[in-house]
Formats: sequence, C-alpha cells, structure tokens
Amino acid sequence: MNPTVLICDDSNMARKQVLRSLPEQWHSNVQTAQHGAEALTILRNGEIDILFLDLTMPGIDGVGVLQGIQKLNVDCHVFVISADIQPEMQSKVLGLGAKEFLRKPIKADVLQSNLEKHGLL
Amino acid sequence: MNKLHLSEDEQDCLQELINVAMGQASDQLARYLDSFVYLKVPSIESVDADSLATTLDQQQAAMAVVSQGFFGYEGIRGEALLVYQDEDSERLADLLGYEPDELSKDEQLIDISSILTTTFLNVFASQIENQISYSAPKLLPSRANSLSEHLEQLTFNWDLALKVNINYQVTDYSFNCNMVLLIPETAINNIKVVLNRILEEL
Repeated sequence: MNPTVLICDDSNMARKQVLRSLPEQWHSNVQTAQHGAEALTILRNGEIDILFLDLTMPGIDGVGVLQGIQKLNVDCHVFVISADIQPEMQSKVLGLGAKEFLRKPIKADVLQSNLEKHGLL
Repeated sequence: MNKLHLSEDEQDCLQELINVAMGQASDQLARYLDSFVYLKVPSIESVDADSLATTLDQQQAAMAVVSQGFFGYEGIRGEALLVYQDEDSERLADLLGYEPDELSKDEQLIDISSILTTTFLNVFASQIENQISYSAPKLLPSRANSLSEHLEQLTFNWDLALKVNINYQVTDYSFNCNMVLLIPETAINNIKVVLNRILEEL
C-alpha cells in the first residue's frame, strides 16, 4: 500500500520539487500545507505516514511543527528539507525526531535513497 | 524604467532560489561568527533605480555601504551593495569582538559583506546554471553623495535594483542589512528566461 504523504512548505515551487521526486503511484495520496499551522491541523486529523517539512516559514515554522508533533504524539516519519543548513539546526531537528535533514534544492535521487534507507521505498 | 514584472509563479520561484542562496550565506556567516544565526524568510522587492540612489544618498551619512561587482555568463552581471545602518554596523563590531591590533572594524565589515555577497551569488548562480566571478569589495566613504559618485563610475548601465531585506538574529544580538543587487536589462531578461525554464521543468 502506498503511504500517505504531507508536504509542508510556503513555496509552491518547493512543494512541486518534492512532489515530482516521489514515485508516480504515490501522488494521489499526497496532501500539501503552506505553513506550519495548516500542517499541524492535517497531522492531527489525518493519518499521515510521511511528512516532508520546510523549516523557514512565516508563522509556525518547521521547528514549531516538530515540537507540535511531539506534543500531539503524532506517529509519522519526518524528513526536513531546508535551506537553513547550519550544523546546529541540523542536529536540533534530528533531536526533535526528524529522520533526516536534506538540503534544498532537493534532488529526486537523494530523496529516494533516503526513503529507501528508512524502508519506506 | 525597467521593472521585473513577475508572475506569481515567477515570483515564488525567484523567492525560493533566494531562500536557498540566503540559507547557505547564513551558514557561512554563522561559521565566521562562530555562532548560530536565526534566519527569517528574506523579503524581496524591486525598486526604482533613480529613487534608490536618491534615497540612499540622503541617508549616506548614517550608513555603511560595501559594494562589490559580479560577472557571470550570458549577460548576468551587476553590482551588489550591502547596506548597513550605523547602529547595525556597530552591533556587528560588538558581535565580532573587535580587538585593537586585529582587523579594523572597516575590514571586518568588508569581510563579512563579501562572505554574504559571494556565497549568496555563488549559490544563486549555481541554481540557474551560471558561474560568477567578483571584483574586490569596497567600503564607500561615509559622506554625502559618495554612493551616487560610485554608481556613476560603474562600467555598465543598470536598469533594475533588486532589494533583498535580510534580518539576522545572532544569539542575543540582531542586526539588519539590505542586499541591493543592481542589474542591467540583459541580466533581467536572462533571469526571467531561466525562471520559466525551471518552472516548465516542474
């Protein structure tokens, strides 16, 4: 069965870059969110298996979403995809439960090999 | 006066290219400062070239401006200005822990500006499959009209000023600066073509 996916990024282009890196057959199970608050609403209600999460967003940012996920006890695999590549930020999000930190702009082969690494592809 | 006139998709695409470039510039800045830099989404706007020079000239006495030329392929070239209000350049000097005998405040400001400009533009250029070289960065004298005099000496006509407002918070400190990219019409056209190529590929 294909996993349910949520892509959270304030940039339409960045959301599309993630989407086109995913297997075709997953596309019908993909939802998107433009900011952290929207993502948390979806995560709370729906059953999301995999979240691709941007960090630098207006309002609730990626770190806020990770904290929300912990608070709400949501069970999903989070892959952070960000332009903020500072080592301290990378270890922060990994400490907050993200599976991987991937740098923008995301490449399809990088995304897929990371999904494979966690047995998701 | 030539303006960018971007569609919503083009604007979003440019913003994302700038976010990625700014992220890596911030990483370099953090390494230089040996500290963590809190990054906000940078806002971008295109400003009228004539009014820019006038506005900046009026404020020149209370500002520090570091200017650096850049050159790529296919007509991509321009001048990058890093503009700091005096209070921000003072804060930066505090942050860097200026010691006599070490680099002067001016030298530090030039260093930091050049790190931001070159990292930003290198990453931006790589995303649009270009490659950029630079002239030496230069701190403009802090007196009235020095900016307009400097702009007059540029060897190309610039038609558009793209202003990227950057806000950095570094632990207990925060400082603001503006990166202003002055670019000629050929470069604007080239950037638009590339934005649309990227959008088509999606």
